[in-house]
Amino acid sequence: MPLNTARNPWIPFWQAAIGVFALGLWEWGARAGILDKFFFSRPSDVASRVWQWISGGSIWPHLAVTLLEALLAFSIGVVLGVLLGFALARAPTAALLLEPYIRMFNALPRVVLAPIFLLWFGLGIWSKVALGVTVVFFIVFFNTYRGVREVDPVIVNNARMLGASESQLIRHVLVPSALTWIFSSLHISIGFAMISVVVGEYLGSSKGVGYVISQAEGVFDTTGVFAGMTVLAAVVLILGAGVERLERWLLRWKPENSPQAGERDL
Amino acid sequence: MTPAAVSLEAVTARFAGAGGKEYTAVDGVTLHIAEGAFVSIVGPSGCGKSTLLNMAAGLLPPSGGTVRIFGDALRGINRRATCMFQQEALLPWKTVLDNVTLGLKLRQPGAGKRTEELGREWLKRVGLEDFGDRFPYQLSGGMRKRVAMAQNWIVGPDILLMDEPFSALDIHTRQRMEGEILSLWSGTNKTVLFVTHDLEEAIALSDEVLVLSAGPASRLVGRYPVDLPRPRNLIDIRTEPRFADLYRAIWTDLREEVLRSYAGPPSRPAGGPRQRP
Ligand SMILES: Nc1ncnc2c1ncn2[C@@H]1O[C@H](COP(=O)(O)OP(=O)(O)O)[C@@H](O)[C@H]1O
Ligand SMILES: [Mg+2]
Repeated sequence: MPLNTARNPWIPFWQAAIGVFALGLWEWGARAGILDKFFFSRPSDVASRVWQWISGGSIWPHLAVTLLEALLAFSIGVVLGVLLGFALARAPTAALLLEPYIRMFNALPRVVLAPIFLLWFGLGIWSKVALGVTVVFFIVFFNTYRGVREVDPVIVNNARMLGASESQLIRHVLVPSALTWIFSSLHISIGFAMISVVVGEYLGSSKGVGYVISQAEGVFDTTGVFAGMTVLAAVVLILGAGVERLERWLLRWKPENSPQAGERDL
Repeated sequence: MTPAAVSLEAVTARFAGAGGKEYTAVDGVTLHIAEGAFVSIVGPSGCGKSTLLNMAAGLLPPSGGTVRIFGDALRGINRRATCMFQQEALLPWKTVLDNVTLGLKLRQPGAGKRTEELGREWLKRVGLEDFGDRFPYQLSGGMRKRVAMAQNWIVGPDILLMDEPFSALDIHTRQRMEGEILSLWSGTNKTVLFVTHDLEEAIALSDEVLVLSAGPASRLVGRYPVDLPRPRNLIDIRTEPRFADLYRAIWTDLREEVLRSYAGPPSRPAGGPRQRP
């Protein structure tokens, strides 16, 4: 069986093998003195640090803050993106007028907004939430807009002939059609929400996984930086997998699940 | 005299064409379809058949002329008609049963139980009683057309508009569907306006065949009553002498239009010097 078929039962094995090999190489390199332990730490050290954080419980308050921020950013961004995406898709003139500004804001790297949000919203969670919102919003906004605009006109006409009023049309046709686009952008959005709030924490805060990483960096604790990254990656993966399952269930009517990519990254 | 179910009175359809010029698709078409009749419109592809049907459906307001439904001038959607489209028109995110009952739910929300019963009844009538919980993509093209048929008939429309509903199906499935349409329609007083580019299909099904000229600015160029007895056996009807006579008679008209549509409007018509005034 060729290796590149997704159904090959050996795929997970080889995937794991690659990871184990890479970590083994890293561990070996550090122990043999090829990699400087000060700059590269060691997988075993990182693992024991992560375990220490988890068993000692010191990571939980930080993780809770980061998750709260990400969840807030995600929810607010989704609500705003869906509302504005819907509104502009139904009002082509307004969409035309606002288009250059939306493009401009979307072209802006979000990181540069972090300082201004710190000034506006302070060192607490809201400056991070705001940063996350600007990322999630655009992904969801573009997908909603496209979803509403690209409804099959035949389906719309059919529903109207069957008796759909304007509001029924929105409920039975436009929203479900847009939802397919919105859902397919959700697991991307949740990942970006996490990443952007962590970037916000890194740049200035007193809590959160980003804060932990920046503290570790401040004292040249490479192991701490890697441990923070590991925790973050694990959480993003778990969240993403959860959303993807939800997405697959909600889009179960689709022939094959091929979620469209989000509009833009950070 | 009772008014015709569908009357198009000198209807014209113009579209914004390329380069800011107007494109006249249909020019001054008048036709009356009596209640309970099964009438087909044939014509070369692109001549404006769908445009006519959309005007009868109320989906496209005519640029000129009037559409009357049972005598009343039509404004907005034609509430007494449903339309079966050439393309897929089922909601892909609704199950087969929910698709079938969609029209009922839209027209009388909150009728819950009765709606579902009726939906299952109709699924049975189109031979899909075991497929109610599937999604459209899990069905074959012919089965999806049956769902669309049930979806249209369940709301009990007085007028059924059909825009080349079976043109995407293979010939056998198609003949079965044609038979199913006829058995649904016969004995009812429903009016069917059936658009097709397939003359055989038109003759086999209809009481009358209307021929539309090639576009642009197409008009009605012929109307042929089909006096074949009913009920009809769709398998054998095509070999009957009367069928062949009708086919020949209509085809002479249609052939010219088809050739003209091949030649395209700017060049000289290939079918003979039948220039428009
Ligand atoms: N919305 C539209 N805008 C511009 N041109 C259109 C539109 N709808 C139809 N037409 C044109 O009108 C003509 C007739 O179209 P149509 O009614 O779909 O033909 P048919 O159904 O007979 O194949 C075609 O030349 C088509 O390009
Ligand atoms: Mg057509």
